Amino acid sequence: MSSAILWIVFPGMLGLGLLFYRRADRFPLAVVALTCLFLTWIAWQFPIDVVLTVGPFSFEIFPSLSFFGRSLTLSNVNRPLLSLVYFFQTLWVLGTVIAKPPRLFVPISLVCVSLFVAALSVDPFLYAPIFIVLAVLVLIPLLVPPGESAGPGALRFLIFQIIAVPFILFTGWILTGVEASPGNLTLTLRSGLLLLMGFTFLLALFPFHSWIPMLARESHPYVLGFLLFFLPTITMIFAISFFDRYAWLRESEFIYQIVALIGSLSILLSGLWAFVERHLARVLGFAAMLGVGFSLLGFSLTGADGVQIFFALLLPQLLGLWTMAVALGALWRKESEFNLKKLGNMFNSSPLAVCGLLLAVFSLAGIPSLGSFPPRLALFTKLAAGSTWAAVVALVGCLALAGAGVKIVSTILPKTGRKQSGWVEEVEPIDSETKSDLSDPYAWMFVVISGFGLLGLGLFSRLFLAGVPSLAAMFPLLFP
Amino acid sequence: MLLADSMEGFLGFVILLLLFAAALTLLMNRDWRWTLAALAIQYFLAFLLITPSWPLELAAVKLVAGWMAGAVLGLTRLNLAEQPDEDGKRLPTTPAFLILASALVLLVVLGAGPALSSWARQISVDQVSGGLLLVGMGLLQVGLSSNSFRGIIGLLTLLSGFEILYAAVEASLLVAALLGILNLGIALAGSYLMLAPVLEPRE
Repeated sequence: MSSAILWIVFPGMLGLGLLFYRRADRFPLAVVALTCLFLTWIAWQFPIDVVLTVGPFSFEIFPSLSFFGRSLTLSNVNRPLLSLVYFFQTLWVLGTVIAKPPRLFVPISLVCVSLFVAALSVDPFLYAPIFIVLAVLVLIPLLVPPGESAGPGALRFLIFQIIAVPFILFTGWILTGVEASPGNLTLTLRSGLLLLMGFTFLLALFPFHSWIPMLARESHPYVLGFLLFFLPTITMIFAISFFDRYAWLRESEFIYQIVALIGSLSILLSGLWAFVERHLARVLGFAAMLGVGFSLLGFSLTGADGVQIFFALLLPQLLGLWTMAVALGALWRKESEFNLKKLGNMFNSSPLAVCGLLLAVFSLAGIPSLGSFPPRLALFTKLAAGSTWAAVVALVGCLALAGAGVKIVSTILPKTGRKQSGWVEEVEPIDSETKSDLSDPYAWMFVVISGFGLLGLGLFSRLFLAGVPSLAAMFPLLFP
Repeated sequence: MLLADSMEGFLGFVILLLLFAAALTLLMNRDWRWTLAALAIQYFLAFLLITPSWPLELAAVKLVAGWMAGAVLGLTRLNLAEQPDEDGKRLPTTPAFLILASALVLLVVLGAGPALSSWARQISVDQVSGGLLLVGMGLLQVGLSSNSFRGIIGLLTLLSGFEILYAAVEASLLVAALLGILNLGIALAGSYLMLAPVLEPRE
């Protein structure tokens, strides 16, 4: 069997098939969660291109699948990433129990993930943006659920993602010319600019980030979280492939400085925007942007260090985003208007979700003992030696996001003690629909998993981040 | 030989003018039927510009995909109640403004086309001019539209302009298939965005 059939075609077809399942029960959730766990396990345990014999049976996972004269290739170096992708997809599917996104989330998200994996496996890799944009198109019914009008955010998101495709495809063509004549500065500059434009659109970097806060107001926060989780991650891995493939990019100090500048700017702006924001789903969007900024800054360290720091930063960032999205999804069920002013009583009705939310925000801000702290400390240490300005700017961004977390605490917590007016304490009637989530076992499981994950990543980072070198090995020229 | 060259140049110029007329109709006409007719013509003209670079059967993929995209949008609009176009509420859409903006795009294209063609020798001047014109008009359409239908038409225009340029440098079967799927996907997404408000919500 081909690896592409196992990790791309099969989940994609399963997702498409489940779209036609009409009953509103948990059958699709169970099937998809088990499938993703199974795919995670296979990617983790079974080598590709090796004949395995179990009793009388022998089987082999072939690395390539040819179609239309090109191929989808997933080899042994991709296995850690495949495990990671399908493990997190399992988490996203299980999180729907609490977050309750639109009903088609489970099958559509699976189709989407299979397209993202296809983007990472297509050979030549330059065709990846088309798969990424196809995944984006598949997500549209989740961003604008049936019965609701499409807001400007969804259309702008679609436009910006599609505009990225021509830039990157053209760059691919120009880069072949650059390879042939590396001394041609004009050609190099043009390809660099086109590449920069393409990834600025795809990664929603300033000033093309405007769809994120718009979508945050229009869409379910869990769907937005899923989008901001997978899209930048896959795009950044695709972007690193360029550096791994083309020596002139890999060896250009100037390009790395530009990446550092863009990363720092992204961290600073998103942190400050999160601090002044009063809409919680938009804070999620800005936190994701801050994570993208850190990933870029980490990668700008160049060479093996850059790739390692990139993956080390990515893991806690992904877990933090998932935690925040689940928490916001749970809160969305009770108060879809996420204005901080209206969240006064949220802690009463959903203490566990609020705890998860705060844990995630502080982890994403890089507060000590939480997930993002150890890799960021390593990053700051490295930056302090060469680019102090970048470290300072990034620190300000982190503090601003932490400030946003403090703002949420200060808005929510005082409301738990009810004010007294005159002689009589005002007692609000308890609404049966807004009963506390303390009695919900799934909410407890969520808090335990996210707490264990984020604290574990923060306190035992060596243990949790032991797999980083194997992830980085997928870029053999950057991480020899 | 000279006559053949001048005929070719004249044909290229005619195609460019027709493309401009089709793109201008897409931009200015408020009736969706005329808009989709102009889109179909635009795809045919784009097909003519692609044929020098690609085999006819491969170039036909683009034509068919484009027409199918138009058909998807048309069928969707056919099933929707007639709605007033809301673009005028937000952005300047007076004919004078649109013609001036389009003329500006045409001027830029006529200026940049030969230079780009001399830099990228695989792409002929006609292809560069046609491709850039559609990219420019598509961007204009996308920038000035606030509703899904117009935005999607703008995206399809932009993408077909890019496809003319890209076809000259890349003749991969996979890319042709993927870009065809992308065109159809954009049309389906647009169709869904138009239909979403009238669909029955599901829990």
